Amino acid sequence: MLKVSIVGCGKIADSHVAQIQRIKGCEIVGVCDREPLMARQLYERFPVKRHFSDLRKLLNEAKPDVVHITTPPESHFDLAKLCLERGCNVYVEKPFTLCEAEARALIALANEKALRITAGHDDQFSHVARRMRALVQSGFLGTAPVHMESYYSYELGQAYARALLGDARHWVRRLPGKLLHNVISHGIARIAEFLTSDSPQVRAYGFTSPFLRSLGERDIVDELRVIISEEERTTAYFTFSSQMRPSLHQFRIYGDKNGLVLDQDQETLIRLRGARYKSYLETFVPPMTLAKQHIGNVATNLRRFLAMDFHMKSGMKHLIESFYRSILEGTPVPISYREIVLTARIMDTIFAQLDAQRQALGQMALDTVRAGPA
Amino acid sequence: MGNAVGDGFIIDKDDLILVTGATGFIGSRLVWNLLDRGFRNLRCFTRPSSGMAGLENLWGHRRAGRRVEVVTGNLLSPEDCARATENVAVIFHLAAGRGEKSFPDAFMNSVVATRNLLEASRRNQCLLRFVNVSSFTVYTNEKKPRWRLLDESCPVDNHPELRGEAYTFAKVKQEEIVIGYGAKFGIPYVIVRPGVVYGPGNESITGRVGVDTFGLFLHLGGSNVIPLTYVDNCADAIVLSGLKNGVDCEVFNVVDNELPSGREFLRLYKKNVRRFRSIYVPHCLSFLLCYLWERYASWSEGQLPPVFNRRRWHANWKKTYYSNEKLKKRLAWAQGVPTQEGLKRYFESCRNRGLNA
Repeated sequence: MLKVSIVGCGKIADSHVAQIQRIKGCEIVGVCDREPLMARQLYERFPVKRHFSDLRKLLNEAKPDVVHITTPPESHFDLAKLCLERGCNVYVEKPFTLCEAEARALIALANEKALRITAGHDDQFSHVARRMRALVQSGFLGTAPVHMESYYSYELGQAYARALLGDARHWVRRLPGKLLHNVISHGIARIAEFLTSDSPQVRAYGFTSPFLRSLGERDIVDELRVIISEEERTTAYFTFSSQMRPSLHQFRIYGDKNGLVLDQDQETLIRLRGARYKSYLETFVPPMTLAKQHIGNVATNLRRFLAMDFHMKSGMKHLIESFYRSILEGTPVPISYREIVLTARIMDTIFAQLDAQRQALGQMALDTVRAGPA
Repeated sequence: MGNAVGDGFIIDKDDLILVTGATGFIGSRLVWNLLDRGFRNLRCFTRPSSGMAGLENLWGHRRAGRRVEVVTGNLLSPEDCARATENVAVIFHLAAGRGEKSFPDAFMNSVVATRNLLEASRRNQCLLRFVNVSSFTVYTNEKKPRWRLLDESCPVDNHPELRGEAYTFAKVKQEEIVIGYGAKFGIPYVIVRPGVVYGPGNESITGRVGVDTFGLFLHLGGSNVIPLTYVDNCADAIVLSGLKNGVDCEVFNVVDNELPSGREFLRLYKKNVRRFRSIYVPHCLSFLLCYLWERYASWSEGQLPPVFNRRRWHANWKKTYYSNEKLKKRLAWAQGVPTQEGLKRYFESCRNRGLNA
């Protein structure tokens, strides 16, 4: 029986516990939060053996094989490091760490201790994402991807926006990339999975949306556009938006033969045929085949729902199961360490460029003020 | 100048009163109620993100020799709680994690926040009463000593985690922590449990009347009495519970007189606000649907969350009557705004909101 623990008993911990419960051959031996009441509420609602407010005590007494770190990102590195040092395998919620250097250090430590570590990029393990991966691996696209587009939207509900804006001490503000840091890794990791170079070029442009500006915010970037390219082979666009409607969580990948469109929210996968039909047939046949594919997606989703295999966090269950299997059976980790590091590196570059932009804009504004009216 | 202690109140009119959630739906009315009663030393605690609507005219009172301090902060911060509770004689604790769907978020904003406030009060040692504003939602509405009548003697849900409602779980746990601090540290408290608080500022239709699902309103209330309390009446009851002598450790339910049934409420709403399609679901059918949903949620390992279940049916849709006798007897509460007038103001506000939407 694999002994599992959770550190950090906030919102996402509920999803972890709910999915771990569904996996055979494991048990939750302890949950931990530095706020004892939070640890206790999780313990009271789920079949969990014990609750703690001190991670060291949990590690000593519950002796878990795996620790899930579901705390705010600032603490990921220190907690994961401690768990690895104590001989535990570690699942770290996204974003994996605050920077690439921390990601590298944790992976090196895991390797040194012959332990496993993974990042909580569970969207990449949903049913539809796995279908897409299988098609790509089967050569559906042709050769390597030519271009990718990853859309990751985040609807800033008025209440959430006000809470974040009104609280100067909100932990999201302390992250190097602030709101972006906490959200974009899902969308970036999708691209990183299919990049072959370890040092792609990154060009980022970000700004604060008029919506946030109207609420008095100047510091938080909630609109981001990124171009990623590697040695004039594969390119990618990443779009993060809080204002775009419809709010998308989409991934498009094009090869030299065909393309694929994955919609995370609708759990649909559409195959785009590379070859064209002759003459007017191009205007009649593709719409029909697209309609057929959409109906096929409905049927697939319905079938999975009826088979009770269509949970909201099914991707997380699959990721956790694969991770546990890698620990127990020595199979490869579900997310390659290269992909985790590359995701962190792209994010670091984006945040550095946004910082540089902000400083340049600040300098321009300062120069304008100094120059005075013409 | 009136002497508050002489009115049977536990504090004088110059004693400091703290109101958390002061800019909220009930909180803002409660502040005005205290000012109208002549209390001259108020501290309104609000989140930095809260709008100041409802309290914007306080400056007039300030000029009239009353001290109304607005303190912004976060109850999750022990330092902010210490600042808020300094020299306070009575706390009206209305701030809560309402509207949260996530259990941890609701719990944190209700229970952890309340614990911080109690802990800060304990250190200050000048608190005469802590008024914890709870809700009818804490009642299990089963095994009631007086059959269909729900009053303060009825049991609280001992497994709120099974109700599928984050708010219920948080409120039950919040009460537990208040009672625990009362027993352990002698903090004098009163628990107030309002029914459905309605009025301008809260234009939604309570789930006790029905649920809007996929564009069709499922009318579940039927002939059930809806435990309404108009916001001004509710604020008045909360104020009295915080001030009256001799009610420490008591619980008070707050409902108005002459309560309409779900069917009457829906008819009046459609007549006065807007027409929409609704379908009546008889009680036996709604119970069966809740039971089936609950079974499926369990069978499918949570593919559908257990948001409808038998516990929730008992709490919300079982035929029940309500009493405000204790409120009247112990606090001398009288309904200020008659139900008919309250509904009129509420429907008018709903219409205006619809026009402005």
